[in-house]
Amino acid sequence: MLRITGGKVYDPKNGVRGEIRDVCIAGGKIVSDVPPHARTIDASGMIVFPGGVDVHTHVAGAALNFARGLIPEQHRKSRPIFHTPQCRAGLAGSTPTTFATGYVYAGMGWTTANEAAVPILSAKHTHEELADTPIIDKCCCVLMANNEIILDLLETAEFERAKQVAAWQVWAAKAYGVKAVNPGGVAGWKWGKDCKGLNEPVPGYKNVTPRSIIKALADIIDQLALPHPLHIHCNNLGAPGNYTTTLETMKALEGNRAHMAHLQYHSYGGDDWFTMKSASVPIAEYFNAHPNLTCDAGAVLFGDTVTITADGPWQHLLYELTGRKWGNLDVENETGCGVVPYVYKEKNLVNAIQWAVGLELLLLITDPWRVCLTTDHPNGATFWRYPEIVRLLMDREFRKEQLKHIPEKVLSRIVLPDLDREYTLSEIAIITSAGPARTLGLAQKGHLGIGADADVAVFNERKDAMEMFSYPRFVIKSGQLIIEEGELRNSIEGSQFASKPTYDSAIEDYLRPLFSQHYTMSFENYPVTEECVHGLNVHQCGSCTQPG
Amino acid sequence: MSCTLGEVKNRADFIIYWGGNPAECHPRHFTRYTLTQKGKFLPRGRKDRTMVLVDIRETMSAKAADIFLQVRPGKDFEMLTILRALVKNQKVRAEAAAETGLTLEQLQDLVNRMKAAKFGVLFFGMGLSMTRGKHMNSAAALTLAAELNAFTKFVAMPMRGHGNVTGADVVMRYTLSYPFGINMSRGYPRFNPGEYSTVDLLVRGDTDATIVIGADPGATMPKPAIEHLKRTPTIVLDPKVTHTSKLSRVHFTTAATGISAPGTAYRMDEVPLPLRPALKSPYLTDEEVLKRIITALQKKPAWQPAVKGGEQIA
Repeated sequence: MLRITGGKVYDPKNGVRGEIRDVCIAGGKIVSDVPPHARTIDASGMIVFPGGVDVHTHVAGAALNFARGLIPEQHRKSRPIFHTPQCRAGLAGSTPTTFATGYVYAGMGWTTANEAAVPILSAKHTHEELADTPIIDKCCCVLMANNEIILDLLETAEFERAKQVAAWQVWAAKAYGVKAVNPGGVAGWKWGKDCKGLNEPVPGYKNVTPRSIIKALADIIDQLALPHPLHIHCNNLGAPGNYTTTLETMKALEGNRAHMAHLQYHSYGGDDWFTMKSASVPIAEYFNAHPNLTCDAGAVLFGDTVTITADGPWQHLLYELTGRKWGNLDVENETGCGVVPYVYKEKNLVNAIQWAVGLELLLLITDPWRVCLTTDHPNGATFWRYPEIVRLLMDREFRKEQLKHIPEKVLSRIVLPDLDREYTLSEIAIITSAGPARTLGLAQKGHLGIGADADVAVFNERKDAMEMFSYPRFVIKSGQLIIEEGELRNSIEGSQFASKPTYDSAIEDYLRPLFSQHYTMSFENYPVTEECVHGLNVHQCGSCTQPG
Repeated sequence: MSCTLGEVKNRADFIIYWGGNPAECHPRHFTRYTLTQKGKFLPRGRKDRTMVLVDIRETMSAKAADIFLQVRPGKDFEMLTILRALVKNQKVRAEAAAETGLTLEQLQDLVNRMKAAKFGVLFFGMGLSMTRGKHMNSAAALTLAAELNAFTKFVAMPMRGHGNVTGADVVMRYTLSYPFGINMSRGYPRFNPGEYSTVDLLVRGDTDATIVIGADPGATMPKPAIEHLKRTPTIVLDPKVTHTSKLSRVHFTTAATGISAPGTAYRMDEVPLPLRPALKSPYLTDEEVLKRIITALQKKPAWQPAVKGGEQIA
């Protein structure tokens, strides 16, 4: 039992904006009061936040592990995590090891993370990694928009069956949500091709277009009543002028719920790399007017990183641009994956625009509940650099100073210099915790109301937001004190959330013969068993609803 | 640039094996994954695929190949470099090609076929990665496949063997960032192949003690390494008697994973497969033995010099 007293509490979901009040914890939950003998933490001069929730990150899985193997030269420069009685050894850096991931997230006051891209074929591996990621709670999204079983069903217009297959696949992967990456484009990449627009047929298909995939998946997810909407990585990522594709995608999603992942990478104007410019204004305008959508920023910070995405064709292009290392890992019948180490340079025109666009979106989107702070870790920057972004959002003068470092010719192509908005602490609590928790549909996360999970971060109140949010004074996860006086003093295991939509088990009879034809694994070995998932916490979805 | 084996099964119309002999070393590989399987987009199976074998001698696998290219021993890197040049339409002297033991026409024909493939795959074995040039050869093979993607879809994959070596590699990477050759003596992982790799440590005699789990270095490593294993305390965990267990101080007989112990095996394409035991074993699993060793070690006093009266005692 624990009482945090004297701190300024920020709990936007419950309308608490910096009031000094007590937060009481018992049995891993927030409670209304604890007996006087409970341990008391004096948080005077400190701010109290609900634990951070990361809506889109890549912290586990075959793709990330492939990347780890590709960049030993970056590991050598990364911060070591020493073996201690509380900690397993590891490395931070751009692809932290599993144990380090848990320690570093908790070490910044973040307590929940959503691994955004999991193929079913290697989901067992992803869950092994997540089980070795301590402290934080986890969930993951299964990749579906290039799954050939689904696409084949859409080709023959068998929507109902596709829905059954999708539901089966979510539970087979022990996933929480569904992710669509470059719908159709990755399937095309299996032949070395791509899908740039929404209306051209997917290579190898006649009737299936990216648009039809997006619409079908969004309908399926809404009808299955999954807690998290379709998590979509649009077509044409990273390309100049791609904002039109993004707008079209958002229009195609009217009438559905959807989460636009790493929107920064999808908000560029111009015709080529030389004329590229920010298109955050039209994207934000449309987004602001459509409350069915949520998004995360996918902001970029300058420095070394490694890009990892299921978007295989884009990574091939990036390899041709950089001429450096390239890893590609196509997953049979399901998806692809590319890995390219990358350096975002301040003096590079394109990189400077990307940096600006991420911040512009965060500043132009008016409802903080619908935009989450992410860097698409590790693509835009590693997650442990979030406090740098928080400072950029909260401090207009600091932003102006940073603008001096980027090439002057960039200034006419971005709108960042004209934006005066400064985030308040309440708004930071929304984009780092309350908002992403709502977007994920995790009702017990992201707030400090009675009955919520006792995930709390306590920071020293300082003027410099980056310093403030980099090193919390106390972090409590599931009611356990993890960080005390800024030191990691305890490590616990987190749980994993999975969704279980309702499906007709007869669908297995449909899948079994397809499986022996198309896969190289037996059907029985394909789904992840419940025993494989440590701390499994199942969200039973409502029954299938019919459209209308 | 790689893919899972199902992609090869469903799509690969052009398959190269280089420096490997799958017919004898991976006996189920042809029939299960690559050559003879009917694929989603290759309904006629073997008839829809072209197979090329590059090796220094005509092995059993050559019988399965449509084209056999006999490269001169130690000239793999040169051959790969010439292929890379030809892919980019650069001029290559006929004499340079002749040094590899093949003619320029043969190499040009190979390049034409690679470019014309819809989905090409290059499997390379230890005949490439462990002969003269070593990792430079692997890098050249991977770069060749990467560069071919400017023309068509092309992937490359090493042919791995030795049980679950891929699994060890995968777990090391996610827990410690590196696949092998890791030194933990400073309390965090450091990586330097050639310095911290097992064989180098043993040959130099750097280790005080060795634990060997499910491997048999006593059968494969150079003599100085084996001598060192004999000289120092060696502990072996293995279901059976091996060369290494015979020279060890302690041999724990453990349950065989996949037969009498559960676990996960990683295929060479890093796809995890669950192992379900068919039999019961009277022996403990490797995991249980290691857990007990760790628990016992934790009861011992710390190895660091104790601090007494503010002064360190060495």
